[in-house]
Amino acid sequence: MPSEPRTPAEPTLEELSAYLDHELDSAAEARVADHVAACDQCRARLEGLRETAHAIRALPMETPPRRFTIPEQRRRGWRWAPAGWIGSAAVALLLIAVGIQNLHLPAGPTATSGSFSTNSGGLANAPATRSEKGAVPPLSAPSPFTQQFDAQSAGAATNAATVVDSSNSARRLYPANDRMRVTVQLIGSPSTSLQSADQGLTLTLVRNGQGVALRPVGVESFNGTPIFGGWYDLASFPLSAPLAGDYRLQATWLIPDGSGRVLQVSVPVRIAG
Amino acid sequence: MFPSNNSNDDRDLVGRARRGDREAFTQLIVQYQVPLYNMALRMVGKPDDAADIAQEAFLRAWEKIRTLREAPFKSWLFQIAANLCYDHFRRGRRYGVMPDEEITSNVVGLGIATPGPQERAEANERTRLVRDCIQALDHDMRIAIVLRDVNGMAYEEIAAVLRVPLGTVKSRIARARAQVQEQLQRHPDFFPTTEDAHAE
Ligand SMILES: [Zn+2]
Repeated sequence: MPSEPRTPAEPTLEELSAYLDHELDSAAEARVADHVAACDQCRARLEGLRETAHAIRALPMETPPRRFTIPEQRRRGWRWAPAGWIGSAAVALLLIAVGIQNLHLPAGPTATSGSFSTNSGGLANAPATRSEKGAVPPLSAPSPFTQQFDAQSAGAATNAATVVDSSNSARRLYPANDRMRVTVQLIGSPSTSLQSADQGLTLTLVRNGQGVALRPVGVESFNGTPIFGGWYDLASFPLSAPLAGDYRLQATWLIPDGSGRVLQVSVPVRIAG
Repeated sequence: MFPSNNSNDDRDLVGRARRGDREAFTQLIVQYQVPLYNMALRMVGKPDDAADIAQEAFLRAWEKIRTLREAPFKSWLFQIAANLCYDHFRRGRRYGVMPDEEITSNVVGLGIATPGPQERAEANERTRLVRDCIQALDHDMRIAIVLRDVNGMAYEEIAAVLRVPLGTVKSRIARARAQVQEQLQRHPDFFPTTEDAHAE
């Protein structure tokens, strides 16, 4: 210890806080301890910090409101950043994935996963398709039956064209409490903007020529590929009655390169009554 | 959940998950879902948003686990979730949102969140107060103190999650505590001043 008049030098706020956490090196720790033992003011400051840390630590650890799931298989054929696609401006790809999470299935016989497990086709020049479903074991707290169904279809075009996915497999949703996970990737976009307006991206759930617009939310720009998506709460869709029926979730991308090229892809979605 | 030094146990599970073993990854989810969810909850405030962030973090971790090299899984997972929290703040809105009307009327505000009636009834006043004080911190201070005092991470681990120097972690935690303390002291009924308080 340096020979200070009476007590070692005033510890800083940072030192007092780190002292509480035993995150000081031993020399500094000894110095703070000596000082605090002799200085009422610093002892009070230390106790104040200690009380505060305790108050935060006393916050209850809360149970997640739902289970977290992962797809049964990894997305195949493409990674988040397929290097071959990115950077070659001539190529643009629009990928859409729709997943379904039934948080509260209707009472009665539960859905059979077989009828949900679909493998979608996609076009020949689509980089990949994927089909996913799965659930993780429950939390300790009772939670409703949960299963995630996820399938994807993809459509793509390399030039000015409108491409509609050829998949005919339906994803089934129940209107109450269901959430639909949508992921849209704009591969080869000249822009990294996560604003759907900048990207010229629209998402619509369509039936009989009538559509409900979904707001595509920019999620991230991963190695230059803008990704949009999110969970959509089915119950909040302003759909006209009867809700049940066959829909298509359609993504339309007016590629923002001034060429006027449009890519479009859709996946069938069935809402069960 | 135990305070964590699970990196050894993780290693085996992570290795299997890297080879595509869902079961192994599922065990990692089970192991981390509560701390990860609570981290997100203390960051963003709303249970639904926090659950969305945790879900997305697990999905991304699963998708990208093959890119994980030396870093401990836990720090890496929390790093993904921390980035998602920051994304959430940047956009000022939820992960998944619905039709246009819904979203515009539903933009999540920052700062001290006003809890809904239901939420208010659940949480006791003291908990609510502490929670609001944390919510009032700026994002950088908030995440540092959440990782420290909610998740119980060591400074070095926090530095790895946030990719900032140790000194930055130290100062963010200290400033966060000082600010929370100042706010709490405005409520002497819940938080008696230190003269009355007892150190252990
Ligand atoms: Zn002093």
